[in-house]
Amino acid sequence: MKSKSSYLKHLHFRWLPTTFYITFLFLPLISLVYLSFLTILTGAPTPPVRQFTWSNYIHIFQNPALTASIINSVTYVIINILITIPVALIAAYAFSRYSFVGDKHLFFGFLTLRMTPPVVMVYPVYLIFSALDLVNTPLAIALAHCLFNVPISIWVLESFISAIPKELDETAFIDGYSFFRFFTRKLIPLMAPGIAVASFFCFMFSWVEVVFARILTVTAGKPITMAISALFSYRTDIGLVMAMTVLSIVPGALMIYFVRNHMAKGFTINQVN
Amino acid sequence: MVKSTNNRAWFFEIPALLLLGFVAVIPLIMVVNRSLHDVFFQKSIWVGFEFYENILSTSRFWQTFGRSLLYSAIILIIEIPLGIAIALSMPKKGALVAVCLVSMSLPLLVPWNMIAIIWSVFLDILEKLLSTIGLDFDWKLNAFHTWVAIVLMDVWHWTSLVVFLCYSSLTTIPAAFYHTAAIDGASRWNVFRYIELPKMRGVLLMAILLRFMDSFMVYIEPYMLNAGGPRRSTMFLGIELGEDVLSFNYSPAAARSIIYFIIIVIVSWIFKTALDIHKSDNKYGKKTTDANE
Repeated sequence: MKSKSSYLKHLHFRWLPTTFYITFLFLPLISLVYLSFLTILTGAPTPPVRQFTWSNYIHIFQNPALTASIINSVTYVIINILITIPVALIAAYAFSRYSFVGDKHLFFGFLTLRMTPPVVMVYPVYLIFSALDLVNTPLAIALAHCLFNVPISIWVLESFISAIPKELDETAFIDGYSFFRFFTRKLIPLMAPGIAVASFFCFMFSWVEVVFARILTVTAGKPITMAISALFSYRTDIGLVMAMTVLSIVPGALMIYFVRNHMAKGFTINQVN
Repeated sequence: MVKSTNNRAWFFEIPALLLLGFVAVIPLIMVVNRSLHDVFFQKSIWVGFEFYENILSTSRFWQTFGRSLLYSAIILIIEIPLGIAIALSMPKKGALVAVCLVSMSLPLLVPWNMIAIIWSVFLDILEKLLSTIGLDFDWKLNAFHTWVAIVLMDVWHWTSLVVFLCYSSLTTIPAAFYHTAAIDGASRWNVFRYIELPKMRGVLLMAILLRFMDSFMVYIEPYMLNAGGPRRSTMFLGIELGEDVLSFNYSPAAARSIIYFIIIVIVSWIFKTALDIHKSDNKYGKKTTDANE
């Protein structure tokens, strides 16, 4: 009995930093959620009226610009993941399995590109994409976001591939698998957790990004971030803005719930670095 | 794992090189080109390094540079140890893992243009609460208080990323390592120093690099919170660049971008080299990682 109580005491003390941290994270979020359930109209002549309501959430689905923005955001994130993951998977495979001239420099070079601040790239990226007639399409944002998602995905996938023993490749090739069949039948099924985690990272960095999203959607194709910006005016409906923000967090939270068990399965860059 | 040497592996890098060439390298070359030209009525005039000299010769640039460096240093000093501490104290299995991971991911998923708005609402509440107990927290007009607000906002927004990276590498440490350490009577500090820290070295390098790059170039959040004020006290490199872009001074903005890019590459390279040297010095760390592979 005594040992159990001391164990519990130990446990509570151990979780103290996490508990404090999560409380700290929730404080601003509580005011966000609270405001999303209120109707307030700032700038009105009468004192602002506050009352609890679901109407902000209902208004989102009655507003075609907002519903379209949800579809746009989901579309460009999916396109981005579909482009990023195959490209990064092949590159990561080479980094994980072979050493070749300049591999370390190339790996750092890719990371260097991740370091480029988006503000730096805004002007040329806009010129290139408008020359190719891609501006205002989700594809433009998806391609532009490859700038930071491909390097991150290469790094994440490289550590996952390195956790798979090399014997897998060798036996598959002895069994007469072609390289393509080995990739699709053997490696990708084993890599599912890695792909899930890399996709989460792509999602996380892409979903919330605003600099490229703003410059590449001038008149149409606006994602959630820009639709929220467009809600600000002289008489901003803060409740609607907050409701839209709360709604925009939900898909990512669901996604991390599904990949939670894979978060734990290795991310080490011992191999290349 | 022994890697075979094969230079044909370069072929696997071609898709990534083509894609990044298109979205990163070509734009970067265009930025360099633009930074060396001034544009007058659609006529481009070669000016060489004039814009670079103009920027680097002003004391304003160096003040902002120092401010950004200080900001990144504060961010790293707070977020990296805090991230490690929280990752160490998180539950390793059970339903609470999901609760922790989901709730910690929430700040990372808030659209970046809303972070400052959520925080200005929250800071107003905080200001009122603190004034009831007699503390003055004037985050709009007092420079030190603005700094506190911006640092708190960044810690709130990004520490979870450090936690996730550290946590994912901690969970790969086999239980046998901890058992052996317990039998040897190792202290908690020694377990951390010789088992957990070496295991986390790779992800820590990544966390440090990511947090350095993003905090050094921070733009939207402090800009939307207080627009670099009061009196330029929170004017960072990213905000100055943003101002150049917003006022259509593209050539000086391009020169500025290249200067920033070079600074970031140099500092990141220093971090990477410093941590790599640490790796070869650390015999114990090497041993544990080898045994694990």
